[in-house]
Amino acid sequence: MKIARVIYEDGDHKWFALARDTSRPDFLIDTNEYLVTSDGDAMLLDPGGSEIFPAVFSAVSTGFDPRRIHKIFASHQDPDVISSLPMWLEFNPGIKCYLSWLWQGFVPHFAGNADTFVAIPDNGMEILVGSRRLQAIPAHYLHSSGNFHLYDPKAKVLFSGDVGAALLPAAEDGLFVEDFDRHIRHAEGFHRRWMGSDKAKRDWCARVSALEIDMLCPQHGAIYRGADVRRFIDWFSRLDVGVLKS
Amino acid sequence: MANSHSSEGAGRELRRIVRINEEIKSVVSAAFKINLMAMNAIFLAKRAGQSALGFGVLSNELRRFATDLQRQMDTLREATYGSVSTVTVLVKQSRISRLLERARIEAQGQAKTLIQQLARSRDESTLARNDEQMAALNRRLTHMIADTAQLVELGSVLARSAKIEAAYGGGFSGSLMQVSSDFEKIIGEIQRSLESLTKHQSEDFLA
Ligand SMILES: [Fe+2]
Ligand SMILES: [Fe+2]
Repeated sequence: MKIARVIYEDGDHKWFALARDTSRPDFLIDTNEYLVTSDGDAMLLDPGGSEIFPAVFSAVSTGFDPRRIHKIFASHQDPDVISSLPMWLEFNPGIKCYLSWLWQGFVPHFAGNADTFVAIPDNGMEILVGSRRLQAIPAHYLHSSGNFHLYDPKAKVLFSGDVGAALLPAAEDGLFVEDFDRHIRHAEGFHRRWMGSDKAKRDWCARVSALEIDMLCPQHGAIYRGADVRRFIDWFSRLDVGVLKS
Repeated sequence: MANSHSSEGAGRELRRIVRINEEIKSVVSAAFKINLMAMNAIFLAKRAGQSALGFGVLSNELRRFATDLQRQMDTLREATYGSVSTVTVLVKQSRISRLLERARIEAQGQAKTLIQQLARSRDESTLARNDEQMAALNRRLTHMIADTAQLVELGSVLARSAKIEAAYGGGFSGSLMQVSSDFEKIIGEIQRSLESLTKHQSEDFLA
């Protein structure tokens, strides 16, 4: 079962991480979901696949009233990211889904109508959660051709979607990266194969290097914090991507 | 949710589960408070000595009550988790049913026959089984809530008795009285939460 853990807290402004689901069946990739709350409003980031909706919904409900989730942020169009959308819309048909304009015609195949989606333009946009101004940061071609990360300048948290993802063995179930060198071995193959564009990668590294980041939160694996954030960006900028075999 | 084929029913069911969960959360935090208060009450009774022996025993019982209540709430929460899983399956099924129905309308000849066969076999097996499962989960939840109501009734009796015992607390009578009315107040809160919980549990299920 998933549990919701608070990774940032300043009054009502919180970040919850729903990470490392041990009860998930093996044939599904493990995902992390995040919830940002502020002033009674909340946005769920990459709510996950429909198979894990019960686990995510129940975990969110233990720490937060899910009726206050008014927004969903989808970093990209993948099934492990957003195929639970039909369930969230069943629960609250008024939920708005923020998503790259590129996928506007595709994701409604999962659920939703013209009113459900808010198109994020290629250069990103500001998204208000309660009184907090969050930024959709362009991360195109990493790995999806219409791809965004989400930055919270007050909390100094960057949700980085599939960037920073690691496919960890079951025994390594910590919420945070503890030993960068050990950890990054589990991220290497994933980034080489999934991240298709070296130019996009370098652009992204430059873009996020300009941000103050205390925590880099990927959709798979553990969270990078403190000096490991810089370590990750440096590692990624040097990595050869877009290769079929490592 | 007696008839869950409509997906609107599924959303309603989820919202009902959330209302139940919110009440569970307030009961859990009340139980936590009782646990702390009872611990303090046990120390207070020890200091009051001989005259507060009965009060001490009751405080111990109240602590056990709080622990039982917390455990009961964990079980309830697990049960609501089971309901969310079943609703998820139901929504998927009803989506497939809707799509099949549209396909049936558009299909012609052999295709129509095939789709009709498929739809029939699904209706008989899957949907009936899911509805049954949902109903069973709801029955279980109703039973658990009834058990909890009994438990809370016991807590309420304990709090009332503590109030009576407090009167014999000699010089400590005033503070013991204060503690026991705090107990009563919080158990009152729990009773109200449980009433709303019962209401939520029955509302849409009958609809
Ligand atoms: Fe992806
Ligand atoms: Fe992913």
